[in-house]
Amino acid sequence: MAKITIDGKQLEVDNKLTIIQVALEHGIAIPHFCWHPRLSVAGNCRICLVEVEKFPKLVIACATQVTDGMVVKTNSPKVVNAREAVMEFLLINHPLDCPICDEAGECKLQDYAYKFSEGVSRFDFEKVRKPKRVELGPNVMLDVERCIMCSRCVRFCDEIAKKPQLVFIQRADHVELTTFPGENLDHPYSMNTIDLCPVGALTSRDFRFKARVWEMSSTDTVCPGCARGCNMKMWVRNNEVLRLTPRYNPEVNDYWMCDYGRLNTFKYVNAENRIKAPLIRKEGVLANQTDSGLVEVGWDEAIAKVASELKSFDEDEIAGLCSAFATNEDNYLFVKLMNMLGVKNIAFLQHLIEGDEDDILIRADKTPNNRGVREVGLTSSINGSGWEIILRRIDEGTIKALYVIDDDPGADPRVAETLARLDFFVVHASNENDTTKLADVVLSSSTYAEKHGTFTNFQGRVQRIRPAVTTAEQDRALDGFAMSRLDKFGAHNDRWMQGPKCDARPTWRILTCVANALGAKWKHNTVEDVFNEIAATTESFKGMSYMKLGLRGMLLKTKVEVVAAPIHA
Amino acid sequence: MEKLILPDIPHLRHIDVYEMRGGYQALKKALGMKPDDVIEEVKKSNLRGRGGACFPTGLKWSFMPKQTTKPKYLCANGDESEPGTFKDRAIFEFNPHLFIEGAIIAAYAMGVKTIYTYVRGEYAKWITLLQKAVDDAYAKNYLGENILGSSFSIELYSHKGAGAYICGEESALMNSLEGDRGYPRVKPPFPAQNGLWGCPTTINNIETLANVPIIINKGWEWYSQIGAPKHPGTLLYGISGHVNKPGIYELPTGVLLTDLIYKYAGGVLGNKKIKAVIPGGSSTMWLRGDEIDGVKMDAESLKAAGTAIGTGGVIVMDEDTDILKILTRITHFYHHESCGQCTPCREGCGWMEKILNRFLEGEGTMEDVDLLLDVANNIEGNTICALGDAAAWPVQSFIKKFRDEFERRAKKTPSMKKPVKPPHLVTLEV
Repeated sequence: MAKITIDGKQLEVDNKLTIIQVALEHGIAIPHFCWHPRLSVAGNCRICLVEVEKFPKLVIACATQVTDGMVVKTNSPKVVNAREAVMEFLLINHPLDCPICDEAGECKLQDYAYKFSEGVSRFDFEKVRKPKRVELGPNVMLDVERCIMCSRCVRFCDEIAKKPQLVFIQRADHVELTTFPGENLDHPYSMNTIDLCPVGALTSRDFRFKARVWEMSSTDTVCPGCARGCNMKMWVRNNEVLRLTPRYNPEVNDYWMCDYGRLNTFKYVNAENRIKAPLIRKEGVLANQTDSGLVEVGWDEAIAKVASELKSFDEDEIAGLCSAFATNEDNYLFVKLMNMLGVKNIAFLQHLIEGDEDDILIRADKTPNNRGVREVGLTSSINGSGWEIILRRIDEGTIKALYVIDDDPGADPRVAETLARLDFFVVHASNENDTTKLADVVLSSSTYAEKHGTFTNFQGRVQRIRPAVTTAEQDRALDGFAMSRLDKFGAHNDRWMQGPKCDARPTWRILTCVANALGAKWKHNTVEDVFNEIAATTESFKGMSYMKLGLRGMLLKTKVEVVAAPIHA
Repeated sequence: MEKLILPDIPHLRHIDVYEMRGGYQALKKALGMKPDDVIEEVKKSNLRGRGGACFPTGLKWSFMPKQTTKPKYLCANGDESEPGTFKDRAIFEFNPHLFIEGAIIAAYAMGVKTIYTYVRGEYAKWITLLQKAVDDAYAKNYLGENILGSSFSIELYSHKGAGAYICGEESALMNSLEGDRGYPRVKPPFPAQNGLWGCPTTINNIETLANVPIIINKGWEWYSQIGAPKHPGTLLYGISGHVNKPGIYELPTGVLLTDLIYKYAGGVLGNKKIKAVIPGGSSTMWLRGDEIDGVKMDAESLKAAGTAIGTGGVIVMDEDTDILKILTRITHFYHHESCGQCTPCREGCGWMEKILNRFLEGEGTMEDVDLLLDVANNIEGNTICALGDAAAWPVQSFIKKFRDEFERRAKKTPSMKKPVKPPHLVTLEV
C-alpha cells in the first residue's frame, strides 16, 4: 500500500497501480486518449501529463506507478499549460470536419477541445493531407487525417483479438495507420477498434453517415447473437435501430463484442418482412407467390381462434415448442400454458454451429437463452430426441396441433414437410419465415428490441433486455424508454419522430391472453410480474428481482455447468 | 598527449598488428579478475558514456541484476546519426578490435552472453570492416565458446540499421533489434530491468566501450588523471564546418574549444570570424562566436556555458554563414527523423520547420519568433524520448542568442493578417 495525495485528496492505495488508475478509481478525472484499462500502456498521447512533487519534469499518469508519499497535481498551471499544448499539437493537423464526422458528439478529441483547449489555433499553415477513405477491412473505414496515432486499435488487434493486422508506417506528422501487406482488418472483432478510436478515424462502414449521435436514444440491452449474451447499447432514431455498441460488463464481455453480433442482431428488427399484425389463414384466400394466404386480423379474433382450436384437441394431440431465442419469461409462461392444457410433448431446438467459437467471446450455441429454457421448466423433456419424437408422432397422425414460439423449425425442408400435415399450427413470430408460411395462425410477437425480459447466458448469468423500439401498443414517453434529444424535445411533426410501428406484442403477453381466453385467470400485467413468479417458484432464481439484476445481471444459484472462463486469462 | 583510442599505428585494424601492439591483453587481465572487480575498476575510473548523456559507465553496469534466470544482453550502439558526429566510424575503420575487446570485457563484467552491435545502416563500408574484425576475433577465440580457455563464452552479432536516426535512442534501438518499429519505449522500466526481449540489457556507445581496455590495462588511477577530473579520458572530437582541417581529433577532455578550432583544426577558413559554434552535435545548444573564449570541452564546463558536450561533434560557422538556414536545416532533420509516436514531437517538429521556412521566404514576423519559442518550449520535456528535446534545444538557444537574425529578416511590410482598409469610394457627380 502507498499513501499518496492527488489534488489535496489523501488516499491509501495499492502501490502496483498507476496514477491514472488510482485517480479514476477515486473520481478524479485525468484526460487520456491512448490509455485504456484493458490495453498495454503506450504513453504516446501525452494528454495525461501531471505534476508530481520532487519530479523535475511532468510525468504521464498512465505510466507512472504510485509510490508512498507521492504528491500529484492534476490541475496545476504547469499541467494546464502542457495539456493545452498537447491539444494544440493534436489539432494542428487534424481536419476540421466535425460537422460531417460520425464521431462528433462522442469524440474524445472534441470533448477535450471544449474542455482543455483555448479554442484558437496559432497554426496558420496548410495541414498535412492524408487519405480520407481507406477501406481497412469489410467493416471498418479509415480516415487517416483524423487519426491521432494513439495506437489503441493496433494494440487491440495485437493483444485482445490476437490478430496483428494493423501497423503504423512513415514517420513524424506523416505517420499513417494501415494494414500489414496482404492483410485486411477482417478478424471477428474488428469493429471494436471503432469504439476504441477516440476520434473519427475508424468508422463503421455499416453505420457511416446514418445519424448524428445525439439524434439517437441508447438503450442498455443484451446481444441475442449467441449464448455469451454480450452487454450492449442499442441506438435508435425514428423507431429504427441504427447500430449496436458494446457495453462494459467485466463478467461477460468486458468492453467488447463481436462483429457478427453487432451487425446481424438488429437488421431483422427493421426488416421489410416484419409481421405487422396477427395473421389468420382464412378459407377462400389462396396462397400465391407473393402472398402467404394469411390475412391480418385483430388481436381478439386471433386469440379467440387459437383458444377455440386448442380446446378442440386432446392433450396428447397437442405439442409445444419453446424457444431459446425467447426470454425466460416467455418460456416460463409457455410451459405454464402447456401444463395447464396437460400437454406433455414439449421440446426446444438447439442452434449450434460446431466449431464457430473461440476463447474470446463467440460461442457455438447461437441462441441467447438455451440455459434459461432448461432452467424454467424444461429440464425433464429436454433430451434432444424430444423434438424428433414429436415430429414422428405428427407423421403418424397422433399429434395434430403444434404451438411454436419464436423459432423457425420449418427452415429444415424435411421438417416443413412434416409440419404441413398438422391440423392446426399456431406460431409466434416477428418476421416472415419458412414456418409462418405453414401456420394457421401467426401471432405477431415483439423482437428482443421491443420488450423487457431476461436471458440466461451460458455462464448461468441472468441478464435483462430492455425495449428500444416501440410497437403499436407502446408509447416512448409513457413506457420508460431511453430517450434521445428528439424524443424529449422534437416537435410532433418532426420527421425524425415518425417511424413505422408493428402491432406486435411480447410473447409472454400473448401467452397470458391465450391462457385467459382458455379460462385461466393469469394476472401478469408486466413482465416483471412474470419474473417475480419465476423467482418465487424456481430454486435457481430465488432472491432475484429486476431491480437486483440491474445492468450487470446475476448468476443462477445452481452448480454452474459451464465454468465461466475469464475472457482475458 | 598520447592517443589512446586512435593511435598512429599503421594497419592497427588487422588483428595481428593489434595483438603485436598489446591488443587483447586487457581481456586476458580482465578474465583473471572477478567480474565485480572489473565493474569497480570502471566505476573508479569515472568513465562516462560517450553517446551524449555522459552517464557514468560503471554505475550503469552495476544496475544489471546479479541474480536472474533471464539471459542478459549488451547492445553496442554504433547507430551514430547525430549530424556533426562521425567518431564511431573512425573506430570501426582504424581500431575495431579495441571496441570488440572492450565489449567482451563489459560482457564478462556483467555476465552477458550475447552482444549486439547496432551499426548505422548508411555505414555500409564500415560494417564490412567491423565484420572482418569480428570474424578474426572469433578465429582467435576472443569470441565464441570458452574464450581463451576460460569458462566464459560470448557471442557478438553485428546488426545493420535501416536508416532511422531514432534507432540510436537506446530503447528504439532495442525495438528495432527485436524486429519492431523503431519506437522509443516509455521509461521506466529501464533496460537493466526490462530491455531486449524483456531481459536485463545494457546499452553502451562504441567509443565508451573502446575506453574499457585502456582502463583495465593501465588502471583506474592512471586513467582518471587524464583531462577533466569529473569527465576524464580522451574524446574523439569531430570538427566540421568552416575550419581548415576538419576531421577527428583525439584529445583529452577539457581542452579549450578555441584550441580545438585554431590549434588543431587549423583555424577558420579564410581567417574569417566565427559567427556560431555548435559544440556537441546538432542537438546541443548554440554558442555565439564571441562567447567561445575560455570554454572547455568537457561535460561540466559546457553545462556551465549553457550547452552540452553531447557527442563531441563541433560544428563551426563563420561570419558569412546563413545560420538561420542552418537552424532550419537542423529542424528539418529532426522533423524528418521524429518517429511520430508521441504528440508534441510528431506535430511540433513539423510546425517549427514551417515557421522557420516562412522566415527563409521572407514572410516571417516577430510574433512568429515568439510562437516558435513557445512551440519549442511545449515540446521540450514532454516527450517519450530525448528527440523532442534535441529538436527544441537548438531552436531555443538560437532564439536566445541570435534574436537579431530574426529581427533582421522579419517582414517589414504589414502582416497579411491585419485587416486591409476598404478602397476609397468615389462619388461621381453627374
